[in-house]
Amino acid sequence: MNKYFLVGKNLVSEIFTYRLNFVMWRVRMILSLLTIYFLWSALIPEGRELFGYTNSSILTYIILVHLTYSFVVASRSYAVGEDIIQGNLSNFLLKPFNYFTYLFSKDVGDKFMNISLTVIELSILFVILKPPIFIQTDLLLLLLTALSILSGIGIMFFIYVLLGSIGFWSQEVWAPRFIFFTIILNFFTGFLFPLDILPKPIFDFIQFLPFSYLLYFPVKIYLGQMAIDQILMGTSISLFWVVVFHLLLKKVWTKGLQIYGAYGR
Amino acid sequence: MIIKVDHLTKYYKIHQKEPGFMGSLRSLVNRKYYDARAVEDVSFTIDEGELVGFIGPNGAGKTTTLKCLSGLLYPTSGNVEVLGFNPFERKHDFLKKISLVMGQKNQLWWDLPAMDSFLLNKEIYEVSDSSYKKTIGELIDLLDVKDIVNVQVRKLSLGQRMKCELIAALIHEPKVLFLDEPTIGLDVVMQQNLRDFVKEYNKKFDATIILTSHYMRDVEQLCKRIIMIDHGKVLYDGNLSEIVKKYATHKELRIVFQKPIEKRELARLGKITEMNGTRVVISVERTKSNHVAAEILKKYDIEDFNIEEAGIEEIIRDVFSNKNK
Repeated sequence: MNKYFLVGKNLVSEIFTYRLNFVMWRVRMILSLLTIYFLWSALIPEGRELFGYTNSSILTYIILVHLTYSFVVASRSYAVGEDIIQGNLSNFLLKPFNYFTYLFSKDVGDKFMNISLTVIELSILFVILKPPIFIQTDLLLLLLTALSILSGIGIMFFIYVLLGSIGFWSQEVWAPRFIFFTIILNFFTGFLFPLDILPKPIFDFIQFLPFSYLLYFPVKIYLGQMAIDQILMGTSISLFWVVVFHLLLKKVWTKGLQIYGAYGR
Repeated sequence: MIIKVDHLTKYYKIHQKEPGFMGSLRSLVNRKYYDARAVEDVSFTIDEGELVGFIGPNGAGKTTTLKCLSGLLYPTSGNVEVLGFNPFERKHDFLKKISLVMGQKNQLWWDLPAMDSFLLNKEIYEVSDSSYKKTIGELIDLLDVKDIVNVQVRKLSLGQRMKCELIAALIHEPKVLFLDEPTIGLDVVMQQNLRDFVKEYNKKFDATIILTSHYMRDVEQLCKRIIMIDHGKVLYDGNLSEIVKKYATHKELRIVFQKPIEKRELARLGKITEMNGTRVVISVERTKSNHVAAEILKKYDIEDFNIEEAGIEEIIRDVFSNKNK
């Protein structure tokens, strides 16, 4: 069995060991979905239109973002900071083992669990709330959606690891992470609202940042609400960020490992 | 030559904070850093199959050296070579041949049984099924852990965990083994088991082992050669037996008198290190010991009498405290 596959599998067993933790995390995710869902259905009742969205189009958007979240955002890689500060990183450096592949394998395990649970939850929700469902049948768009999700997964992974790498220089890795989670993740990724309801100058600016490619962009492609040239442009920007973050990470780790103190061991 | 350390120096950059709240505020704006010299200009070489004891007080630089040798730390200056590799490059071929075991910290997955971690290590080190089965069987027998390898690691006792740690570190049969305080926190029986095990491993695989420990017994029983290090510098590098000759300036006379003797009377013979009724221990210079012994035997009624070399622990304590002066 491949070593990295085994890591992912071990993470799944770990989740089963701490079932309650995981279940509570899912409860929190459902509550957050329901809050946003009911907020938007109150803002745009059936038959009305706001910011170019109808009741059914906004609810479809919200649900799809929720699903995309478990693909893109679900991750364990934020633990890099603690690994560095507490010296657990040493365990990995001592072995013929790629730390980043290891982190990513854990993420895959985590994503697998989150996606499975999200699908089950949404199925139940569909039975109860009967929200509008949109099925995309255009194969090209589905393919582009998949590509944008992969790219989003990459961006997210690099952001987590880079935020954690602050640990080489400072003990305070929690604060930047907190800012990322509460401000950036909520307001710049399209998690709470579709970004195109923002004033055009702000929206244009956000398009050049990496964050909109985490949730907003894949969902909009799936919904077929983007022109092909917009899709190509967005995909290019998104891939550009993946490359930039990758290079940055390489630099940061070369420097970081030189001052790594392997403390706590 | 398996290990070559050439003028190794490692400084840590440490952020210095003045005590108290005002100090915290001040350090927000104006951070002062200083270099903590963990290891300074250390050189030594170790041959294949050697079992070397690395001793020194807390903070002497033992662990730092081991971390440099295993590629965790980037040396400030100097060269380190292990098995022909530069450890810091962390080539997989290098990492497959070494292992670092720390008594203080674990590599086992906390929430899973140790067996799962073993299996993971098997995959990580790409050990074949047949040799894994053989090694793990031997290790489990040798350390007698059959009953606990399937229990969640968090539920194990310190000693049980240490045994599992050791197994996890040895699945790939490393040629070079760094043991940092492997007996810390273990009971006397376990300590002895572990020592026997290390000795056996050294012989069986012709493995090169560096061991650090606070317990002189570990070093005494296992290592022919020791390297003494303090304040980042090597104080002594050579045979353990020679250190006794070189540094043991005193012998101990252990006497049981038939009647209690006055302390003052004995004090002129040497330094009284212990006195309990008729039992007395006097520390006497080596050259004079025979002479003093003869005098005591002639003058007093003796029930029991012994001349002993000072314990290795005391000698080493002496060496360290003299160098610090």
